[in-house]
Amino acid sequence: MSAISARRKRAIALLSLTSIILVTLDLQGSGSASVLRGTFGVFFRPIEGVTRVITRPVSNAWHGITHYNAVTKENDLLREKIAQQEGAAVAAAASVRLSQELLALNGLPTLAGINSVSAQVIGDSPSNYSQSVEINQGSDSGIKVGMPVMNAAGLVGKITKVFPRRSIVMLITDPEYALSVKVINNPEAASPIGDPEASASTSSTTTTTTTIPKPQATSNIPGFTPGTTTMPLTTVNVTVNVPSLTPTLTVPANGALPVRETGILEGRGSSRVPIVRFIDSAQRFGTILPGAPIVTSGGSLSLAPPDIVVGTVSKVTDRLGTAGPILEINLVADLTNLSFVRILLYQPITEQVKP
Amino acid sequence: MSIRFIRFISSRWTRLVLVASVVLGFQTTLFNDLRPFGVMAQVMVLFAACAGVIYGAEIGAVAGLIVGLMYDCVLTTPLGLASLVLGATALVAGAFPYFVRESSWWNKAIAVAVASAFGEILFPVAQALVGLGGWVQWRVIGVALIVTLLNLFLASLLMPVVRWTLKESLVG
Repeated sequence: MSAISARRKRAIALLSLTSIILVTLDLQGSGSASVLRGTFGVFFRPIEGVTRVITRPVSNAWHGITHYNAVTKENDLLREKIAQQEGAAVAAAASVRLSQELLALNGLPTLAGINSVSAQVIGDSPSNYSQSVEINQGSDSGIKVGMPVMNAAGLVGKITKVFPRRSIVMLITDPEYALSVKVINNPEAASPIGDPEASASTSSTTTTTTTIPKPQATSNIPGFTPGTTTMPLTTVNVTVNVPSLTPTLTVPANGALPVRETGILEGRGSSRVPIVRFIDSAQRFGTILPGAPIVTSGGSLSLAPPDIVVGTVSKVTDRLGTAGPILEINLVADLTNLSFVRILLYQPITEQVKP
Repeated sequence: MSIRFIRFISSRWTRLVLVASVVLGFQTTLFNDLRPFGVMAQVMVLFAACAGVIYGAEIGAVAGLIVGLMYDCVLTTPLGLASLVLGATALVAGAFPYFVRESSWWNKAIAVAVASAFGEILFPVAQALVGLGGWVQWRVIGVALIVTLLNLFLASLLMPVVRWTLKESLVG
C-alpha cells in the first residue's frame, strides 16, 4: 500500500514539474507548446464535433428560452436602423471611395490596398478568464500572428495563435491587448450651436465666396461653414446668398479643424470597457468630449494599419498634472455577438518572425 | 506484452483520459454556449474536485493534473497553468474524506462546490503570478459564486461518472 502511495506521490511531483516546465516554455514562446496543442487538437476535434452536434438542440433550446424577447426587440430595432442607414450608406460609400482615391493619388496607405480574408467565428474561449474567439481560417489562408481582425463595424482584435485551418483571435477587451490609437477631437469652439434644421437647409446651398467664419460657428457640423455667409458688421452689412454651379472652396478657421492626438488603448476584461491612456493634455487638443471618435493610429510599430474605427469616447476622467485624461471607450463592434470577421493580411513589424 | 497492453488499456488513467475528453467536449460546446448570468459552468474544475472528494488527495491530484493538462490544450493561457490549478483544486478537495468519514451524497456535493469556488478563484491568481495581469478583479468573486451554485447542481450528476472512471478495477 505504501509502495503505491509513494508511486502516486512521484507521479504528482512529475506531473507538477512537467506543468511548470510547460508554463515556462510557453511563456518563452517555445514552439513545443504549439506542437502539443496541435497534436491534441487532431484527436480532440472529432470528439468536440460530435459533442457539438449532440448538444446543439440543448443550446438552441436554452437560447430560445433566455434570449427570445431580446432577439425580437433587437430585430425591430435593426429593421428601423437599416431603413435609416440605407440612404446614408450610399453617400458614405461614395465619400470613402473618393477619400481612398485621394489617398492613393498622394501615395498614402489605405485599407483598400490591404488584402483580407473573411472567416467565421466557430467558438469562444472555454474559460471565464480569457477574451478570445476561434475562427475557421488559418495559416493555409495566409493568416499570421499579429494580423488585425475587424467586422463590419470596426476593429475586433488581433490574431494570437495560428493553426493550418483555424486561428485564435484575442479580443480588444482582453487585459493583454494594447494598441496605439488616435482620438479625433473637435475643439470646444466648434461645439454644437444652432438648430439642426438650419444646418440641414444651409448645407444644400452653394456659394461663390470664400467663407471666413466668426468665432461663433453657425453650424452644428464641426469644421464646416454653411453656404449662407453673414459678413461681419464692421465690413459689409449684407447677407450674400448666390446659388451657383461653380465648386465651393470652404476654408474653416484653424480653431474649427479636428485635432488628433495619440494614446494607448488597453482592454480590461469582459465586464469593463476598454480605456485609452497617455493622451497628451496639450492646450491645442482642447477638452475631449464624449462621442469623439477613436481610430487606429497606424505607424511602423503599430499592430494595425491607420484609420480603422475602434469606437467613441464614452467617459472622460481627468487627472492632475501632466498625466492626461483617461478615456473610456464604447466599442463600435459588438464583441458579444460575433459571427463573421475579416482579417487584414497586414503583419506589423513587431510581430514578424526574424529569420 | 499483450497482458501488459490490456492492463494499460483497462487502467483507471486510460479511462480518465477518454472520459475527460468527452467532458472537455461538453465544456467547449454546450457549457461554452450556456452562460447563466454571463458565467460559464466549469465542468473540468468540477471533474477535478469530484476526483478529490471521492478518491482523496493523491488520486485526486493526479487526476486533476491530467485533466488540467487536457484543458490547457484548448485554452489560450500558458500550457500547464490549468493543470497546476486543477491539481491544486483536487488536492484541496481531497482533504474532505479526512474530515468527514461517512459522508452523504449532498455532503460531497457541497464539498465539491466549495472546492470548485477555490479553483475558480485560483485561476486568475495563477494567471497573475505568471505575468498575465488584469484578471484579478472583484468580478472573480461573483464568478466563483455562480460557478459554486452551478457545480453544486452538476456535482450530483458528475460524481457517479467520476466514481466509475477512477475505479481501480472494473471487475467486481
